[in-house]
Parts: sequence; structure tokens; C-alpha cells
Amino acid sequence: MDDLTEMLKGTLEGCVLEIIGSEETYGYAITRRLNELGFADVVEGTVYTILLRLEKNGLVQVTKRPSGMGPPRKFYALNDAGREQLATFWAKWEYITSRIDKLKEGGR
Amino acid sequence: MKFWEAMTGSDLTRDWKAFEARAEALPADYRAAWEQIKAHLFSYGDFTGRNLMPILDNALGLLEETASDGQSIHEVLGDDIAGFCAALAGGEGARSHRDRWREQLNRNVARKLGRLGG
Repeated sequence: MDDLTEMLKGTLEGCVLEIIGSEETYGYAITRRLNELGFADVVEGTVYTILLRLEKNGLVQVTKRPSGMGPPRKFYALNDAGREQLATFWAKWEYITSRIDKLKEGGR
Repeated sequence: MKFWEAMTGSDLTRDWKAFEARAEALPADYRAAWEQIKAHLFSYGDFTGRNLMPILDNALGLLEETASDGQSIHEVLGDDIAGFCAALAGGEGARSHRDRWREQLNRNVARKLGRLGG
């Protein structure tokens, strides 16, 4: 599906939180995971800016580990604030999807 | 920051030289992207551009990491370098109209959630 990016923008941060929440991971792996899910337009730069924001907002714990080649990689794991934020994201998501589904069904 | 550096910007010159030396080591397409990133980020700079230094350092770090992964620059930045830079510069002082609008939407949703007891 093309042109999902605009619709995805507000929720991408929650998606990244969810991915980090299931296991400690790094930018490239997160991008690949999103691509596998079918979000082909998501590039690493997008994920990177989200990760910077999560870090700035104190939602993740960052560990630098040396990689096989090139500069060390940053690994991300959720801290307590991050887990709380993730729960809030899913609550909002429930709210939005339930309302939109209702709209689609034509009910009130 | 030393007084002399603040007055002359000599620390900035030194940082710039270090950035450019790192950029030299990147593949050609990455270097081209670096030039574009700099051009876009300048619009977010303050008077001296000192606020951009950590942002540029981050951006260069991403380019170095991904270049050593062997990814193409398109896989990394896509078509929207301006959008990437806006998101990098993000936060205070560099917020777009859309961010504010989205914040308002988030607030409204949060309020409704609160009312539902969710």
C-alpha cells in the first residue's frame, strides 16, 4: 500500500515503542521489522528521529555496544516511563479504532 | 566554552573541521546527502549556529553507522531529507504547524480518555 506515511506518522512512535518493548534492539532492526510488517515507506532516518525523541523524553534506556565493523551501535530498551507510555499508546489506539470502526459501520 | 572561543567562534571552526573530516570518509552518495542535510538544517540554526552542532553530530553518526552497514542512502533517508531534518531539529523552537496541531489532537483524545475513565 502506498502513501501510508502520512496516516502512520502519529502512530509510528507507538509502533517503535512496541517493538523495543518486546526486546532490546537497534535502529536498523526496527526499520526492517516495520518493513516486514508492510510499512515499506519507513526508512531508517524516520526511525532514527523517533529514537532520538524517545531518548530525549526519557522513555528508553540506551546502551552503546561495539559492532563487528564501523562505529558502535546504540541499543534501546524500554524503561518504566517507556512502558507506561506504551500502555497509554494502546489505550489511545483502542479509542481511535473503536470510534472509526463505529463510523464505518454507520452506527452511532 | 572559553571566553576566547565564544568571541571568535574558534571552537565552531574546530568542530566544523572535525565534521568535514568525518564526512570525507563517507561514500559519495552519503556525502551528497550530508551536504543537503547541512543546507536544510541551517534554517533551524540560532545566531551562531551553535545549537546545530549536536544535531549535526547525530546526523553524521547515523550516516556513518548506516554506511558501514552497506545500506544505500535511499534506504536510510528516503526522498524526504527536508522532513528528516525538520524531525531532527524538532522540539522547541523548531516546531512546525503540524506538530502543534497534532499536539492539540493528542490533548483532546487524552481528555476524552480521561472522561471515560480509561
